[in-house]
Amino acid sequence: MSGRSVPHAHPATAEYEFANPSRLGEQRFGEGLLPEDILTPTLYHGYYVRPRATQAGEGSRAGASELRLSEGKFQAFLDVSHFTPDEVTVRTVDNLLEVSARHPQRLDRHGFVSREFCRTYVLPADVDPWRVRAALSHDGILNLEAPRGGRHLDTEVNEVYISLLPAPPDPEEEEEAASVEP
Amino acid sequence: MAKVILRHLVETPVRYEEQFEARGLEDCRLDHALYALPGPTTVDLGKAGAAPAPPVDSAAEMPPQRGESRFQILLDVVQFLPEDIIIQTFEGWLLIKAQHGTRMDEHGFISRSFTRQYKLPDGIETKDLSAILCHDGILVVEVKDPAGTQ
Repeated sequence: MSGRSVPHAHPATAEYEFANPSRLGEQRFGEGLLPEDILTPTLYHGYYVRPRATQAGEGSRAGASELRLSEGKFQAFLDVSHFTPDEVTVRTVDNLLEVSARHPQRLDRHGFVSREFCRTYVLPADVDPWRVRAALSHDGILNLEAPRGGRHLDTEVNEVYISLLPAPPDPEEEEEAASVEP
Repeated sequence: MAKVILRHLVETPVRYEEQFEARGLEDCRLDHALYALPGPTTVDLGKAGAAPAPPVDSAAEMPPQRGESRFQILLDVVQFLPEDIIIQTFEGWLLIKAQHGTRMDEHGFISRSFTRQYKLPDGIETKDLSAILCHDGILVVEVKDPAGTQ
């Protein structure tokens, strides 16, 4: 009997490659816009959208979350350029890799702003959470890396015994018994 | 009306056909104010349609000049739902808070929040402001009734 009926690549995990793009844009948030930042409307799935000059184009890691799952390595890139290095924390909770960041109110070119976010990646089952390494590049891209394949993936199968409960007493029989007794 | 050739919805939105009649088609194509969404310059649509009016008039009420004097904020809130966004005014400051709880996306789970503060011009109160959230995630907060028109 095979071990799992739901694969490790459940939609909530990073391994679910079927419908998930490896790169997610628009990870910067709370950005002020100037009228000249809004570009000519284009069509996206039949809707008008106005691209912003602040958005980075395809292929760039700016403003994006990017996942790379290869044979030997789990790798994620995340834009945290709004935050200074000491405002970003990375931790693992079981097989969850959490990146959280917050910055207090500060002045940017549009005004005062404070931000906070928490992003959670679900590590693939064969990644050891203790071996996750994080590096922050000069342009604010966080690089999260962990080797894969270090853990054994033998499925543990435990057949659960089904105990049979006694049938409930028949109410009619109970009534008869009650009427006979006195 | 028969002369208007609809080539593409983006180029010629149907609802503004009347304005295309009044103005040259090629003019309208690059005029963002004619599209369904407010474009780079927020020009009053009624005024844009009346462009072929006598040039003396249109020079007197040049829309871009009026636009500059208006208080207007553009904010990219594409990650947030309308109900996630709170707009408040407090003692001459405009506060825009947006927060969404943990939700699932293609890479896992994400929660975000931010607060932005802007100094309002003197004499501007809550009732003078209007806010529009466009479907492509641009929040526009602006003074409802531009002082320039009076």
